[in-house]
Amino acid sequence: MAHRFNSKKLTVICAVMALAFLFSAGSVLGGEKVPAIELITTTEAYDPIRYETAFLIADSWKQLGLDVNVRPMEFSTILQRFYNEQDFDMVILGWSGRVERLDPQHFLGTLHSGQSTLGGNNPGGYNNPEYDALFDAQQAEFDVQERRELVLKAQKIAMADQPVDILFYRDEVVAYNSARFANPVVMAGEAFYNEWMPYSIKPLGDKKILTIATQQEPDTINPLASTSVWGWKFMRMVYDKLVRLSPNIEPLPSAAESFHDVDETTVEVVLRKGMTFHDGKPVTAEDVKFSYDYFISNDFPYFRPFLSVLESTEIVGEDRLRFNLKSPFAPFITVTLTQIPILPKHLWEGIEEPDQLAPEAIPTVGSGPFVFDRYERGQYKRILKFADHYMAEEMEIEGMDYMIYADAEGVLTGLLTGQADMSAWRLEPGQIPLAEQNPDITVVAVPDFGYYHSTYNLRRAPFDDRDFRRAVAHAVNKGTIIDVLLSGRGEPGNSVIAPVNGFWHNPDVEIFDFDLEKAKSLLKEAGYTWDEAGKLHFPKK
Amino acid sequence: MVSRFSVTSSERRRAWPGRAYGLRPNDGMNRKTYFFFRFLQLAATFLVILTLLFFLFRLALPDPTTALVVEGLSQEEQQLVREKFGLHLPLWQQYGIYLKNSIFLGEFGTSFHYKAPVAPIVFEKFLNTMVLMVVSILISYTLGPALGVLLTWKRGGKLEIGGIVTGLVLRSAPMFWTGMLGVMFFGVYLGWFPTSGMRTLPFDSTGFLDTIFTLDFLHHLILPAFVVSIYYMGLPMLIMRNTMLEIMGEDFIELCRAKGLKERVVMYRHAARNALLPVVTQAAITIGLAVGGQVVVEVVFSWPGLGREMLQAVRTSDYPMAQATFMLMAFMVLVMNFVADALYGVLDPRVSIPREGR
Repeated sequence: MAHRFNSKKLTVICAVMALAFLFSAGSVLGGEKVPAIELITTTEAYDPIRYETAFLIADSWKQLGLDVNVRPMEFSTILQRFYNEQDFDMVILGWSGRVERLDPQHFLGTLHSGQSTLGGNNPGGYNNPEYDALFDAQQAEFDVQERRELVLKAQKIAMADQPVDILFYRDEVVAYNSARFANPVVMAGEAFYNEWMPYSIKPLGDKKILTIATQQEPDTINPLASTSVWGWKFMRMVYDKLVRLSPNIEPLPSAAESFHDVDETTVEVVLRKGMTFHDGKPVTAEDVKFSYDYFISNDFPYFRPFLSVLESTEIVGEDRLRFNLKSPFAPFITVTLTQIPILPKHLWEGIEEPDQLAPEAIPTVGSGPFVFDRYERGQYKRILKFADHYMAEEMEIEGMDYMIYADAEGVLTGLLTGQADMSAWRLEPGQIPLAEQNPDITVVAVPDFGYYHSTYNLRRAPFDDRDFRRAVAHAVNKGTIIDVLLSGRGEPGNSVIAPVNGFWHNPDVEIFDFDLEKAKSLLKEAGYTWDEAGKLHFPKK
Repeated sequence: MVSRFSVTSSERRRAWPGRAYGLRPNDGMNRKTYFFFRFLQLAATFLVILTLLFFLFRLALPDPTTALVVEGLSQEEQQLVREKFGLHLPLWQQYGIYLKNSIFLGEFGTSFHYKAPVAPIVFEKFLNTMVLMVVSILISYTLGPALGVLLTWKRGGKLEIGGIVTGLVLRSAPMFWTGMLGVMFFGVYLGWFPTSGMRTLPFDSTGFLDTIFTLDFLHHLILPAFVVSIYYMGLPMLIMRNTMLEIMGEDFIELCRAKGLKERVVMYRHAARNALLPVVTQAAITIGLAVGGQVVVEVVFSWPGLGREMLQAVRTSDYPMAQATFMLMAFMVLVMNFVADALYGVLDPRVSIPREGR
């Protein structure tokens, strides 16, 4: 049978081909479609604020033509994916503001390329040689003003690259019973749970023991085993340290009478005279040397970052010690000397495996301002004023009780019913008005230098593109996060060093306002295109 | 061959225990053989549970050292901690150590979180939980069945409707809510009871018994025990009522009435005793599960119990702690089931294990 040519068919074929050409031309103009982004955040139960923040970001990014899938996960699963596996596109997490992190070393270190290996503190994989050089220079610079210049510069470079979007600094809102006590001093990042509050607080009535309602419990009170901040926040009241940071974050001599750097790798410390441990034995240079050596020889993980730079500790005279460093390390005085507790040599030197001690076998003798009295796990702890401490005269309270509650509701109920005088840590946003209604309770908001961030995986597209990151930074509505989610109790983020950390913060870092139009125009400038469905495509290669 | 017992409704609910082993009641198996088989079954089940627990936690939970990152520890330091925990060993080797320690040595290892031996911590929390749970279960399994009988007795009246509705409501009301209402009303508003913990702090005590045999402890116990009891009470009450309704149709009840016994005697002595079996099973299982405590109640009342510990162990990937607590719970459920089986014979001679030559 002869084949009959069908002109109708031809027209259809031509039309299809023309359409196909048009579409392929469209994709030639732009690149491939930007893949969907997985945004990992906490569950609503764990932290409603981070959970809601993720959806806020997803909503504005969708308006840029991006597909964003929010994935709430269990907290420890997030940590595993983020730090140990680095298997993520984008994660919302936070760093808590602990007093040793006021020194810029830790937070700047989270962007150092040396930390970008699996398990390191820079899971996003930011790698900028210029930044690394500034970081290395600042940690070796003992002149504080010189070091500050380097720290400010490093912040400016990193924040312009946007390897991470610093979302917000959340105020710590704490409360105390102002009918019973007056004048508790607060510290940025630590609120009431700082080393100076016991000295500043004044009892107004007969109750001389301050009762603190807390949800947080030490993992252990063994100084050779505790790996949690709540263990150390408690133990530092019992154990003395050579240096403590003042409420204004200046290093103040504590067990040390004075300290100074002899040269770039040597720090000399003169010990205060007449100090005793709680069991009456004197505190000597031997005890100090023993403590530093003991933590190193036991390879105690928690203090390794602070001690890894220490070559040796030597006694160079009665009450005089020298710390010899492997390389110049500026944070040695502000971080290391303020962290390491002084242990009584006579009680610890015979202990073979100090991290394996049964709870009742742990020596709880220190030389700090408080004597350890007791700790009933899950119920309460008590420490009492040490009358022979060199600062004992400045303290008006007789001791501190910590009542351990299972949740935030318990803490608030404890405060409202007068069972407790103070909250150890933050109240939840919903509880704040309830606490404010009570005439005996005073609520205090303290700015934090810890921060919440969304970190991008710079090994993956589209986050490997600096222009893309800078553009989407304009599509995060930090104002709404602060006003709505935090009820105004917080500050929008702009740098890894928070504004409240005034000396080290760079006020001139680039600010990325919330401006969707600007975000779009920046994407356009960088060569990104949108298809008919409004989805974002990569620039043509 | 037809059983020589007539099959009653209560027997239908509970088959002859030896059947699981392919033995018929008149096979002449004696009590010893039965308990031997039963024990073997218990041991095998327990071994399976041990294995499941070991692999479940290791597969489902993140690495326990992950949380240390937040404390600023690098990969190298995490590895150090991992070696201290023995997590660098191959899984089969860890499993071997685990089986050996938990079965032959009765050791449950060192908690990753507390850095202290698991056993004393678990034991301490176990006692705290049990003192609350046993009191609550005793109250609810005494009052519950008694009320159940009363509901049957007053069948068709307003009391029955009211009782059933109340029972269902109490059973369905979540404890975190009833607990919070309790704290708000009796604790904060009326100020009658303390709202948290087991004792007024600080207190001195030489041990567990010294802690609980005080008026102060009793004062702390009332509110949480009340909340748990009213929650637990609904089930035995409703079970009792349903079983009673079946029993009331039996011939022997008619006989009792025909003998002229008082209705109270018929109800409580004759009918109730026969209806008690399902309640006993339920009570045994409840006690077994109670080891896990009621996490919600322990949180609301800041009760230092095992439930909170289990939750924390899972959250912090504290394998030894999680294993020990869940093992204890599984063990209690198994044992209490066994006890329930044994109790059957005492409560109802018809389901007792036949003796040889009977």
